[in-house]
Amino acid sequence: MKTINFNNHKFQISRDGILFWFDKQIAIISDLHLEKGSSFGPSGQFLPPYDSEETLRNLLNAIKKYNITKVILLGDTFHDKNAFNRMSNEALILFEKFIKKYEVIFVLGNHETKMKIENIEFFNEYILDGIHFIHQTSKKYIYQISGHYHPVATIRTGSKKITGKCFIQEQYNLIMPSYGVYTGGLNIKNKIFKKIFKKEPNIYFLGKRSIYKFPYKFYL
Amino acid sequence: MSDILKIEPIDNWLKKNNWSFYNHQVETVKLSENGFDVLLVAPTGGGKTLAGFLPSLNDLINNKSEKNKLHTLYISPLKALTIDVHRNLTSPIEDQGLDIRVETRTGDTSAYKKNRQKILPPHMLMTTPESLALLLSNKESKDYFKYLKYLIIDEIHVLVNSKRGDLLSLNLSRIHSISPDCKRIGLSATVKNKETVLKFLTSKNKAKILNVKETSFPKIEILETKTRVPWSGHMASYAIKDIYQKIQKSSLTIVFVNTRAQAELVFNKLWQENDNNLKIAIHHGSLEKEIRRKVENLMSLGKIDCVVATSSLDLGIDWGDVDLVIQIGSPKGISRFLQRIGRSNHKFDEPSNAILVPSNRFEYLECLSAINSIQNKLLDETREKKGSLDVLAQHVLGVACSEPFQVDDLYNQVINAWPYRNLTKTKFLEVVEFVKNGGYSLKHYEQYSKIALNKDKFYAINNKSIRNRYKLNVGTIVESYMLKVKLGNKTLGQVEEWFIEGLNEGDTFLFGGRVLEYQSISNNNVIVKSTSHTQPKIPSYAGGRLPLSTELSIEVRKLLSKKQFWKNFPNQINEWLKLQSKFSNLPSLNGLLVETFPRLVRGKKRFFLICYTFEGRNANQTLGFLILKKMQRIGYKPLSFVATDYALAIWSINEVEDINIILNDDLMLDDLYEWLEETPLLKKNFRDAAIISGLIERSIPGKKKTGKQVLFNSDLIFNVLKKHEPKHLLLEVARDDSFRGLIDLDRLSEFLKRIENNITYKKLDRISPLAVPLILEINRQTIDKSEMEEYFLEELENEILSEFGLN
Repeated sequence: MKTINFNNHKFQISRDGILFWFDKQIAIISDLHLEKGSSFGPSGQFLPPYDSEETLRNLLNAIKKYNITKVILLGDTFHDKNAFNRMSNEALILFEKFIKKYEVIFVLGNHETKMKIENIEFFNEYILDGIHFIHQTSKKYIYQISGHYHPVATIRTGSKKITGKCFIQEQYNLIMPSYGVYTGGLNIKNKIFKKIFKKEPNIYFLGKRSIYKFPYKFYL
Repeated sequence: MSDILKIEPIDNWLKKNNWSFYNHQVETVKLSENGFDVLLVAPTGGGKTLAGFLPSLNDLINNKSEKNKLHTLYISPLKALTIDVHRNLTSPIEDQGLDIRVETRTGDTSAYKKNRQKILPPHMLMTTPESLALLLSNKESKDYFKYLKYLIIDEIHVLVNSKRGDLLSLNLSRIHSISPDCKRIGLSATVKNKETVLKFLTSKNKAKILNVKETSFPKIEILETKTRVPWSGHMASYAIKDIYQKIQKSSLTIVFVNTRAQAELVFNKLWQENDNNLKIAIHHGSLEKEIRRKVENLMSLGKIDCVVATSSLDLGIDWGDVDLVIQIGSPKGISRFLQRIGRSNHKFDEPSNAILVPSNRFEYLECLSAINSIQNKLLDETREKKGSLDVLAQHVLGVACSEPFQVDDLYNQVINAWPYRNLTKTKFLEVVEFVKNGGYSLKHYEQYSKIALNKDKFYAINNKSIRNRYKLNVGTIVESYMLKVKLGNKTLGQVEEWFIEGLNEGDTFLFGGRVLEYQSISNNNVIVKSTSHTQPKIPSYAGGRLPLSTELSIEVRKLLSKKQFWKNFPNQINEWLKLQSKFSNLPSLNGLLVETFPRLVRGKKRFFLICYTFEGRNANQTLGFLILKKMQRIGYKPLSFVATDYALAIWSINEVEDINIILNDDLMLDDLYEWLEETPLLKKNFRDAAIISGLIERSIPGKKKTGKQVLFNSDLIFNVLKKHEPKHLLLEVARDDSFRGLIDLDRLSEFLKRIENNITYKKLDRISPLAVPLILEINRQTIDKSEMEEYFLEELENEILSEFGLN
């Protein structure tokens, strides 16, 4: 865990990409993309259909050891509008357990625009103590925590390059990595990020043993 | 030479050229006429290809055949070879005005021509294993191959031990079921286990090997240079001046190198020496097809003096009168070297000329061993390979694309293919399930099944689009994602995406013999411009580096262990070895020499452990990981290791106290399974298997996926699958491939047995002469290992932080 300050609040980030706000007993997670694997089925590519189960189990295990009451999901929880109907029994059981145990806030992601699930409400944004929880960052000068971009960073060690998920932080923005086991990534040096950040942001690189904060220019 | 064989037009044509039949050509026709399948094993230049076609020509000329039906199929592992053979065969046919149509069909053939071949098949079709698989997946394939009488497989020895061979073998078996009387003729270079190659060719009892003995022996020497053979390195830059002189004295030289990076560098250096304006060209697999064709053409016209080439020019193609072959670096295997030597004086009864140029000291020993082996007629063994299940999955879908199949029939057809002869019915059914819907115990994909039982209990594809998708995914070669290199409007060739990713704007690299400046990537093109820079970054391609063969390794150890052999060595090598024997010990023929010594690395004292195994890079790499793991457990804090073909060096923070515990074999093999699960190698093999088997597509119609996406996805899938279905078919394939391939498990086990109770241990206070090349190599390599990466990360972070005064 590494402590960061955002809008004068203390947050903890974990190596597996979860943001904890312990003062409020909140865990924040982004981009689960449940049932991404089975979405390739119609094209004849039969990826192992265990990603939802795996993602949900990881998530439950990761937060159960802490005193958490509320979970904010920053959108793209489901990979497509039919994803919920494709979930296996095992995955559904875990999902039920998850929403029963915690107060779960579903922020709406771009993959879920036409989605309808009984008893689940999607919010365009959720605001708490002046911090906006949204799927995709806006250009407004407001404190916002978002996901959507699946940021990854690459660093050279010796002659070898390592790529890993990362958090990106600057004054108004905290962008979270994707959490789903089948989600890919967008490199922080991509020009899309250059449009979002005026200055060089802080990068928290999620390594296998620790979280690293290298100076921005060291990333490839 | 023969009075039995009468193929008048061919006789006439031969006479016109002052040629006559060779005995083995006559013999091939006789055997074939008597119903035998024939494996013709002959050195290059013995009229082997003509021998392969004679039975078919004989039949077409002297007997009535079905009109407009495919009569003869010729399969070669190389596209270029089909074109070459086509040209050679057309010459007698046209000269004698024979009514025989010969055509080629490969990935390069136009859609128009392919279509015409479908409607009006030629008498003889020359193709590759992949194009054959495509042909056989057509709905009409049964009619197409029904009248086939002859099947010729060229360079069959290179196919036996590969996934391409698996694919071919399955399709041969399929052709057999369509046209049971079709006769087969296999053409092979000299190999050690001919029986295996014969079995691969045919399952018939009526089959014979025709072995043509060599009548002349190649003249091979090691290049003598005034400059010293360097301690380490692979580029042989020290010898460029001498190589240039040899090229100058010959009329057409091929300079063979082992990797594309070497090709670029040697080519560049030769041009720097080129005061006499010799015409020197370059030829390797990454260059644009047109550029390669141009070089080949110039060679056959005798318009150039020298070509620097990789294995792209290895196999049986004759491009002009080559009178000298220069091999830079060790050929790494005897058979491969013979094949390359065969490019010079490509005539049956004249000796070939070859010069070997070792690029470092160990390679000098290797080159000498290669020459000894050839003189003693030793050959590398072709190891047998169990048929791969990912290839079988591809084949099963291919069969379903052409016509519905019944499970028992197809199973019997499959086990008739030599690599699959031991396949159990259970495994086969598992493969069918996999093709159907992924083969998971969780039935998630039933509704999308690719194949399903029809009312007659035959498996059929569910819709036409499956056939179209299948066609885009045929083949067993999975390449890295390639980008086109564009200079203005001109495409120079292709380069791996990962290589370009490592470049920054303005960086320079060698490609196609030019120094290019990298500018940007747009639409999958690498935009470059010409530059006057002379010191480029060199493309270091992944492929091409083969490990030292077992046979050569034994020869090298022999050379080292017996001092009486040394008197022929040049002084520098001799002194090096003498110094080693004085300072430490020499590796023995059957034992293992281990040395330890302390040494400073970036100002810190580290302890080095060196094992001189001579077991090839792959086996050494595996051994390195295993020893590293054990040292970690004991608490020696190993930092990293480097493996070459000859030896292995590991360095650690703490000194190793007990060598025997570290090299204890029981414990090691336990570790191996555990370790394998974590290697990038297993992930890479999984990705290949996922693509070959059709789980992930190479490309989706109308939608281009980047190579990077495929790699990333397959890693994620791998992790999830491993957890939920550790025994899934594709994981089994990936593990098999890893053990067989880069890990070289067989070789490692043999090694561990060999050295048991036969370890010589030398504790030294400083580096030994034999270890110098290894320590130098350390600067060139780093290790792929997630745990290692973390060591580096921590060190790196500390270094960077202290740079900023924060630590």
